[in-house]
Amino acid sequence: MAALAATLLFVSLLVFVVVRVLPGDPALIILGLEANADSVARVRRELGLDQPITVQYAHWVTRALSGDLGRSIQYDLPVATLILSRLTVTLPLTLLAAALMIAAAIPLGVYAATHHRRWGDYLTMVLSQLGVAVPGFWAGLLLILLFSVQLGWVQAGGFDGWGQGFWRGVRSLLLPAVALGLFQFAVLARTTRSALLEVLREEYVKTARAKGVAERGVLFRHALRNALIPIVTVAGVQLGQLLAGSIILESVFYLPGLGRLTLAAISARDLPVVQGVVLFVASMIVTVNAAVDILYGILDPRIRYG
Amino acid sequence: MMRLLLAVLIAAFAAAPAVTLAQAPNGLVIQVATEPPGLDLTSNPSSAIAAVVFDNVQEGLIKIDRHGKMVPWLAERWYTSDSKNYTFFLRKGVRFHNGRELKASDVKFALDRAVNPETKHPYRVQYDVIQDVIVKDDYTVTVALKRVDATFLYTVARQGSVIYPREAVDTLKSQPMGTGPFTVAEWVRGDRIVLTKNKDYWVKGLPKLDRVVYRFIPDPNAALAALKAGDIDVSAFGIGPESVDELKKDARFQVIVGDTTNDVTLSMNNSKKPYSDKRVRLAITHAINKEEVLKGAMFGYGKVLGSNVDPTNPYYVDVSKRVGYDPVKAKKLLADAGYPNGFEAVFKVAPQYYYTVRSAEVVSSQLAKVGIRASIQQIEWGQWLSQVFCLAPCTNPDYDMSIIGHAEAFDIGNFANPKYYFRWDSPEFQKLFRASESAPDDKTRRELYVKMQDMLADEAPAVWLYMHPRLVVTKKGVTGIWKDLPLPVLDLSEVAWQK
Repeated sequence: MAALAATLLFVSLLVFVVVRVLPGDPALIILGLEANADSVARVRRELGLDQPITVQYAHWVTRALSGDLGRSIQYDLPVATLILSRLTVTLPLTLLAAALMIAAAIPLGVYAATHHRRWGDYLTMVLSQLGVAVPGFWAGLLLILLFSVQLGWVQAGGFDGWGQGFWRGVRSLLLPAVALGLFQFAVLARTTRSALLEVLREEYVKTARAKGVAERGVLFRHALRNALIPIVTVAGVQLGQLLAGSIILESVFYLPGLGRLTLAAISARDLPVVQGVVLFVASMIVTVNAAVDILYGILDPRIRYG
Repeated sequence: MMRLLLAVLIAAFAAAPAVTLAQAPNGLVIQVATEPPGLDLTSNPSSAIAAVVFDNVQEGLIKIDRHGKMVPWLAERWYTSDSKNYTFFLRKGVRFHNGRELKASDVKFALDRAVNPETKHPYRVQYDVIQDVIVKDDYTVTVALKRVDATFLYTVARQGSVIYPREAVDTLKSQPMGTGPFTVAEWVRGDRIVLTKNKDYWVKGLPKLDRVVYRFIPDPNAALAALKAGDIDVSAFGIGPESVDELKKDARFQVIVGDTTNDVTLSMNNSKKPYSDKRVRLAITHAINKEEVLKGAMFGYGKVLGSNVDPTNPYYVDVSKRVGYDPVKAKKLLADAGYPNGFEAVFKVAPQYYYTVRSAEVVSSQLAKVGIRASIQQIEWGQWLSQVFCLAPCTNPDYDMSIIGHAEAFDIGNFANPKYYFRWDSPEFQKLFRASESAPDDKTRRELYVKMQDMLADEAPAVWLYMHPRLVVTKKGVTGIWKDLPLPVLDLSEVAWQK
């Protein structure tokens, strides 16, 4: 718990400093071509940018602890409200991508491992190599060209909101989720394959087979369970990467999620939003990692944390 | 797990027909590249705000129509005897979206607020000329000026002079209210803005659409895909010139190519050697083949320019041949100026505007042929504003050359401002400009504008490369979209689906 808090504090400091050393003064960007010395000074004062950086940081952290992440310069709305509203797109998108990734990668990895050095294995490896090589935004464009432009099955992008119905929501997130999960799917399939291959060579697997345990039982009860530790580790890290990947794919599919919010906030130098989103995403990733650590203990009762 | 997921996916495809916002009856979905930074025309000069609000939600006393002509709008006529006192007669029965009738006191409120330095009006300098706004009666208002100002009526027609009810001044940023053909129904931040028809609009028969959805799609490829997939009906600012030929051949679409006030300008730092030498500036101008730049950067769309005044301006004269492409002459001028072997230079450009980098690439290869070795440095927009455009606290611009589009109409005054980032200080030109601002009649003003254009071409404080074209792609059947843009606006009042 202390490590968790320390990590978050470090992240908050890092993001605060990085955002401030970026070239480009938010006051200039707000005022644009009409700025003069007086108006720049006034806007800087309004934004609190005239205070010493330590004072600014202390203000921000104490407010953030009570859930107040400040106000967006660009939208004039509370940052927390903006994050929550965008989360209704990004969270389902990430979860759908994760579900698709896990549902496709683990069975395929298992299949490849059990068909080691046979055609099925080679095919899986080629597929996953492609998945690693093709960047998500390009895969996204190809998917749009095929499923939206050519076949007309789904819209090319945009999100009409959950108010239009659950299925319509899922439908508009489907292509971006596939594009988003593609790379992670490939990595997870390869990890599953190699982890399982390693376990399948272990003595106790031979013993289980010698005892006459059915192949299905050997595979799922003995081998896969023991291979899960590296798989869960990779999957946990990937969940964080999926969140990060949404920044690009939300632009390709023009989804109003956290990623696009971040991108727009960076170019508009909307510092409270950039800081707020990065802190929020970092907290999510730290939490996921903590959950993965707890999951280790369940998967392997020998692992205990002091 | 696999089966469950498959079932979910199949259900998602089957249960929801591919209906998008585009198919709303008598509605229109428009793609724009940039989400407006708020919706207040009186606080920010952004053209993204104008695209949504100006002439659609809020209107002014005078309107610039699609041909660039000033037409009476909320004022049904105006009158001046001395070019210093303008009396506007308001149209009766015009109502704001809240149902209240527009009165002369609203005009006074809006103009007083523009003059007031506290309100951060983006074009405050242009309102400085206003001495007083006097309400004569409910429908008559007189604006007294400190001096004759030839651009005053244009100031009244521009986006910063829209009239809004004073009781709605606090919500201008998120829920602007006005007298326009549409009202703002919804703004889903980061995704879309929805306008709905103002049923009590004072112009009978308008607007023709019931509903307009603006979708923010910054990526040109995504915009093209959305257009082809039928998700959007119009791409207003987003399709690049490279896609135009392909879309022209596609029977599903119509491509509108028109003129704009956006002059893509190669700026030079006139306060710095060697650009302070007129011979060097002329050499650079002679070294550039603008037709080739237009082909290379814009696939031939747009028009070559010779000065800061573009074809949408009523005083435009073609001076593009005055200092034409002539590399031999360029080399001679460089030698005369003491640079027989040319010199090194850096182009600072902001890739946020795609045409800047493309144009700089073509231009630098042309300059290389006369010995000017120009490298390209891409910098982020915020840096461009502080280094090149030299916004405060910068006091001296830090650049050799740059390229950017200047979209303001009637912005020749920038060259009469020695503090502007070109840093061109010509008392003779400044005198001409001042005379044009206080010209007693249109004929005199036109003559002065012609002189200024000739002088700009001959002195070459910058190189005016080309007018950025207006490129709009719509589905077949969409009518009423403006072909040319005499000012940054996206007027949708007359847009309709062909029956």
